[in-house]
Amino acid sequence: MSVSVRLTRRPLSVPAAMRLLSGRELGGVVVFAGRVRPDRTPQGRVAHLDYEAHRPLALAALSSLERTAHRRFGAEKVVLWHRLGPVPVGEVSVIVGAATGHRAAAFRAARYLIEQLKRTVPIWKVERARPGRRPRSRPAGRAGR
Amino acid sequence: MAARATILLFATARLAVGRPEIAWSVDAKGTTVGALVRSLGGRYPKLAPILATCRFVLNGRYVANRATRVRPGDEFAVHPPYGGG
Repeated sequence: MSVSVRLTRRPLSVPAAMRLLSGRELGGVVVFAGRVRPDRTPQGRVAHLDYEAHRPLALAALSSLERTAHRRFGAEKVVLWHRLGPVPVGEVSVIVGAATGHRAAAFRAARYLIEQLKRTVPIWKVERARPGRRPRSRPAGRAGR
Repeated sequence: MAARATILLFATARLAVGRPEIAWSVDAKGTTVGALVRSLGGRYPKLAPILATCRFVLNGRYVANRATRVRPGDEFAVHPPYGGG
């Protein structure tokens, strides 16, 4: 697996993403990090989100997004990282980043990557309000990050 | 022993059924995706309304035609709307 595409149960690091996106000619670097919010639910405040993926398809979809970012936006380097398993409130669940020669393309590429990741990659989250309470899966589009 | 296809369930579909995987009996000539989805909804009533929102994946490829046949040994995945990020 490419280091630029990652599904992991370990914490995600923005500094590590920045290091991967570094390059002498890369003047524009945009990194987006999505964190888990303590949203209200009928069961109480969200304590953590449980993420799951259909791993082979998710990795293929992320790799496809990486190729598109190179082709469409000229991104020299890309990061598409997503946590799986339980992610507590406040922790980073997703990092996308793009490094290009100039800022405009980097912003466009990063925006494209996070929007497409949410729409097209088979990853799901289930809200966990507190131990022992009945979980519910958050409908697509509600996350709003 | 009856021939079976493996059904993978994620997120709301998994919660509705109570497990992530089902071994589903299929005869040698197979069944269509449409018939399989109807049967799943009949067997698991909580799953039925969720299936209307799902995409389906057969052996790693998204199903474009519900007349596609599911045969013994196949892997059929039920994908509710995605929610990463």
